[in-house]
Order: sequence, then C-alpha cells, then structure tokens
Amino acid sequence: MAALSAASIAGLVVARRRVGSLRMERGMTALRLAARGGARYASNAPRLFATAGEHRQQLRNDLALQTAEDVATTLGTMKGVLMKMGQMASYVDDGLTPAARRTLSRLQDSVPPMSPELAAQVVTEELGLPPEQAFATWDLVPIAAASIGQVHRAITLDGRAVAVKVQYPGIAETIEADLGNVALLRRMLKITAPSQDVDALLAELRERITEELDYRAEARNQQLFARYYEGHPTIHVPGIVEELSTRRLVTSDLADGARFAELASWSQAERDLAGETIYRFVFRSLYEMHAFNGDPHPGNYLFHGGGRVTFLDFGLVKHFTDDELRPLVEMVRHLCVENDPSAFRAAMVEAGFLRPDTPLPTDMIIEHMALFYDTVRERGPRTMTGEYASAVSRRFFDFRSPLAAYAAIPRSYVILQRINLGLFALLGELSATADWRCIAEEIWPFVHGPACTPMGAAEATWRAARRDAGHAGRAVR
Amino acid sequence: MTAEPYAAAAGLVERSAAAYAAAVPDHPRDDGFFGPASVTWRVASDLSAPVAGLRSLLMQALHPLAMAGVDQHSDWRRDPVGRLAATSAYEAIVTFGDRASATRVAERVRAIHIRVQGVDTVTGQPYAAGDPALLLWVHAALVDSGLAAGRLFGTPLADADADAYVREMTIAAELLGVPHEIIPASVAELERYFADVRPELRCTPAAAESMSYLLDPPGLDSDIAELWQDIRDASIATLPDWAIQEYGYPAPAPVTAERRNEIRQALGVLDAVFLGEPGVLEARQRIALRARSAGKA
Repeated sequence: MAALSAASIAGLVVARRRVGSLRMERGMTALRLAARGGARYASNAPRLFATAGEHRQQLRNDLALQTAEDVATTLGTMKGVLMKMGQMASYVDDGLTPAARRTLSRLQDSVPPMSPELAAQVVTEELGLPPEQAFATWDLVPIAAASIGQVHRAITLDGRAVAVKVQYPGIAETIEADLGNVALLRRMLKITAPSQDVDALLAELRERITEELDYRAEARNQQLFARYYEGHPTIHVPGIVEELSTRRLVTSDLADGARFAELASWSQAERDLAGETIYRFVFRSLYEMHAFNGDPHPGNYLFHGGGRVTFLDFGLVKHFTDDELRPLVEMVRHLCVENDPSAFRAAMVEAGFLRPDTPLPTDMIIEHMALFYDTVRERGPRTMTGEYASAVSRRFFDFRSPLAAYAAIPRSYVILQRINLGLFALLGELSATADWRCIAEEIWPFVHGPACTPMGAAEATWRAARRDAGHAGRAVR
Repeated sequence: MTAEPYAAAAGLVERSAAAYAAAVPDHPRDDGFFGPASVTWRVASDLSAPVAGLRSLLMQALHPLAMAGVDQHSDWRRDPVGRLAATSAYEAIVTFGDRASATRVAERVRAIHIRVQGVDTVTGQPYAAGDPALLLWVHAALVDSGLAAGRLFGTPLADADADAYVREMTIAAELLGVPHEIIPASVAELERYFADVRPELRCTPAAAESMSYLLDPPGLDSDIAELWQDIRDASIATLPDWAIQEYGYPAPAPVTAERRNEIRQALGVLDAVFLGEPGVLEARQRIALRARSAGKA
C-alpha cells in the first residue's frame, strides 16, 4: 500500500497548503532524498510473480543474505523504510528531479536475495513444514526480487504451478522499529509539511508501510479480484492458494506472458487491445467492485495477445465505501452525461474537493476540472498520449491555479492520482486508441450502454453468465 | 598564512563516492595489509564510519603543527571537497587495496610530505609533514576515532577486537614512515599516547576556522545538509571533553537511546544516498564478496 501514502502525503500537502510554492518545492527534497536513497533499494519492475526463465532477474545469489541478522544489517537503519518511501516517491510525479527519475527508472535490486536456506527457514516458520515437504517441488533459486522479499517457483502437493513470494525474515520488525523511532522522519517530513500535519503524515506513512508488511491483506485483495474476474474473456488475475498464504508468504498461480517492454514490438492493433483491457479493468473494478488497484506499474502486467492481460500485484488496493464513491459517480454523470455544471459543482463540494464557500464562477471550476474527463466527454476514437497523462498529473497537484485556494484532495481520493500517473501514462505509452467514451458508457452504472467493441460484447456475455451463476456485482446506486 | 576563503562543499557526496568506488579494487593481487577477516575491514565498513571520519579531522586539527601544514600547503581552502575525497580514497586504498597499491599511494603521500615544511605562525615552531611525531598524531587520532565512533554509534568492538584494530592499524602508520616501535599497538598504549601528547594540543585560529567550515559546510544540497547536522552532532559527542573545551563548543547533550537511534537512522539515510551514487554499490559488493570468500576459506 506504499504508493497510497506518498500520494497521500503529497495530497495532504496540497490540501492544507493554500499558497507558498517555495515551501512546496523545498518540501520535495525529503521525497527526493528518499527517492535517491531508496531508488537503488527499491525493487525493480518485474517484482512480482514473474515467471519464465527468460525474465529471470539477475539476482546476486553470491551475495545472498544468510541470516535474519544480515537482513537487519542490509535493510535496517532506515534503508527498508527508504526503499518503501522511494517506491512511493516514484509515484509522485511532481517534485522528483530528472536525476532522481533516472535513478528510479534504472532501479536495481541492490538488496541481495535470501540464501536458499534462509528462504526455506521462512517457509518452515510460516507453514510448519520445510518447503520440500510443504510443496511437491520447490525451486531453490528465486526467480524475481520483490521489494522486501523474493519469488520462488513451486508446484503444490496437488499439482498447481505456483509463484511463492517469501518475505525477508525480520524485515517487518526492522522497519517497524525504524517507524517507531520517528525523530528523523519527523524532521524529513517537517520540510514537506506544515508542522500540524507532520503527525498525521507520520501516522499515514506508518499505517501504509505496516500494511504492506503483512502479505495477508495482499492475498485477500488478489483473491477478491481473481474471483471477480474469473472467466473474464481478457482479464486474468492469478488465483491465491489460501492455505499456503500467510503473513510472510503469498502463494498464487504461476502466470507467464510478455512484459510491457515487449509490447513495443507488437502491432498497434495488439497494443490498442491491451490498452482497452487495462482500461476496462480499472473502471470495472472501480464501479463494480468499488475497488481500485493502485499499483498500475508497467511491471505488474503480463500480456498474452488478443488483448488478454494478466494483472499482478495487489499490494496496493483501495476499497471505496458507497459514500466515498457516490460523489465521484455524480461528478462524471453531471459533467459528461447530464451536462449540468452546477450539479457537478455541488458534487465536488459533497466529495470534499471544493470548499462550499468558494467565490469562483462555476465556469472557471469546470474549465479546471474538465481536463480529467477529457477522454470521456465526447464519443469517437481517441489516442492516448504521454502529454495528456502529464497534463492531467500536473493539474491534479496544481496548487498555483486560482482554484487551489479552495480545492483539496480528501485523503480517500488521493489514490485516484494513480489513475493519472498509472493508467493514463501507461495508455499513453501504448499510444492506445479507442472510443473511450463508448467503453465508459458500457461501464458507467448510470448508463449501462451496449457493447461497443468486440471485447465489450465478449465481456457482456461473461457478465450475463456471471449473473446467472449468482455472482452479484456491487452496483452503485 | 593565506586568508583565502573556503570553496563551497557542493558535490561532497558525489565526489567522495566516486573516489571511494575507484579506490576499491576490482582484481586485487593479494588481500592487502589487512584482509577480509581483519577488524580494520569491519571498522571501515561500519555504519559509523562518517562520524569516525569527521571526528578524525576534528582531533587531527588540534595539533597546531599538523594543522599549520594543512593550512599552509594543501589546496584545502580552494578545493576542500576534493581534498576530503582524496583522503577517503587514500584510506580506502590502504584498507582494501592490495599491498602494491597501498604501498604505492603511501609513497606518493610521503613524496608530497617532503615538500610540506614551514613555520607555524601561532607557536613559532618549525614543522615538517614527514615528521614521525606529526604522522603519529594523525594516525592515532584516526584510530581512536574509529573506536570512539563505533562505540557510540556503530557496532561496538569487543575489547580484544579493539586491541586487534589498534594493532592491525600500526602498518598504516608505518607505510607513511612512522617507526614501528613508537606506534601504539593496543588500546592501553593508545590511551597512554594521548595522555603524553595532550600538552602539545590546542585549538589554533586555523583549526577553529577549518572546523567551523567542516561542521557546517556551505553549498551542500539541502537534504545532505540536514543529515550533516546529525553527523556533526554525533562527531562532537564522541570527542573527549578536553577537545570540546579546546574548541569552545557547548557541552553536547548526553546521547540518549532515542538520539542514538536517530543518528543511526541519519547515517543509514546518508549511506543509502551514498550507495545510490554510481559505482558505490558495486564497490561494496566487491568487498562483501571478498569477505564472504574469506569466511568460507
């Protein structure tokens, strides 16, 4: 859940800071620091459930960590915390220097993997059996690094090929100890935020990082998505093996496929289809599951052609309550469908995005906000671009606009910045073209439009079958 | 004495990192004068090393003749960062390099020392950088600082290891021309040496000026400057009382467990920043691999 907290930090800063770009700029030094230091530590793209041998990361097995004490030495005294903050900082578009971005973009797994013995020790502690007994086959050599663990291939006793993410022993305690000693963090954050916010930021940071240390939440979330999308024509989420998933182990079905980077050599038609699937996944999940997977990192997808995509890594999932989601839905509806600016404004106020006493004309507010809805305001094919993604991202945290004095990003919505940073940036990189409005109409609960692409038709069939089978998707009133 | 102002300390981390990365050998011909199993390697790789480094300088500057040599001859004022980077590169080569490399850099320093002679304007005494007594002072301050910083902020050494460290390090002084028989070879001898040399030590204006620069170097990146405050406070906290009085610094607050953790965290962040610089991780890995293969042997 790391990304949420950084975004939340930035969000809170924007929310509370009315003016003062200078302080904001200075404030980013803390994140820059985390990014710079954390970058080398932060895990690399193929950090989860990477599969086939050709994707095998070069892991420094010759430097393998052999004891929990090695883990503490390597990741203690803030390094584990920095690693997490570096990941978060990588999601906050503004404020990172190009140098920090470069460093982040060539993240290397500088944390050595565990030795086979140490990984086996964790499995034994978690499952009560050594891996060679808990599994029919256990690959001694990890296939990928995760930020605070590593992934091993295995075959379960009943024959399922799985990926097992094993957490470094002692890492949770080490990070918790650093998070418990807040003097330095407080100082780092004080540059970022006004003093009254620091404790809230610290609490947020601790909560998010601590959450990520417990793999059970991740397994629960992944299972939720896996169950929801079971049988979907193009969306695939590897299922969780619950009895082999614990606080420090996540066992899921092994998946294989092409990496995001390989898509560059695929046809534009294939890239469009992949983009459509990712788009459908994000908004189906949001509107129907009331859940948002906030980690749209390019490393978290595997591509299979024909628009079929495997979604990995559910470490950062935000569940929205009905009350949280309703105003968002209202905003879309009033702006894009009903074309009712004053109702849109009222929904913004209800969501907490805008102070009720804002003395600005509604036109101005619409003009500022319309950019976020630009791809779905009108029908017709449209190509996503990196420029659009950047523009949206900048505006999300734009506190120089006249609106900034009255605008805020409530904490529960900060994660939506991940749509801007993740989804739009990803689709922009694919140069994906589609009639996004038409697809959105299929998904919008207040429209339920007919299928407008072959994938939409296949999805409709899946949804009908799903309904017949008695799955009740949560619908927004 | 030159009154040239000090240059800004911008690039301190970057240049130190580059010097360090280049100093740790790729394919050493032998294990050098210490070797992977030595206590010296442990001390040099300890988290507290930056504190030890700054404390060394604070101590070394208190010998008026040593300070005069630096102040009057080196390019210390014009390029303090370059000088610090060169010093840490020297230490890294002597520690981790093979015997030939260590001997070569030591000979180069000895050649430079021949030219460093003069008269200290404060005490009126002549000095020569090659004077074994001055070299011994610089050496003893370095060794004592490794112990003191580790004791308070790093991984403290067992008594036997502390003695081993002092004994192992005698070779570093010998390489620069200090006769073996006058070099302290145990913690007790080191303490006796400090008691003996104490009357010669004082804070000259050059020392005060140099150190106030080092304690708050202008031109650091703001994030590094923030961490530097902790390194500075930690270094002062490890100084003997008499040294703090010589400088006229306010008595440091006692280091509570919380404060110690905070400083260790700052050291950890600084270390992470250092590791983020090109080549540093690879240099660390080279050291770790050698240490590991030595452990297996």
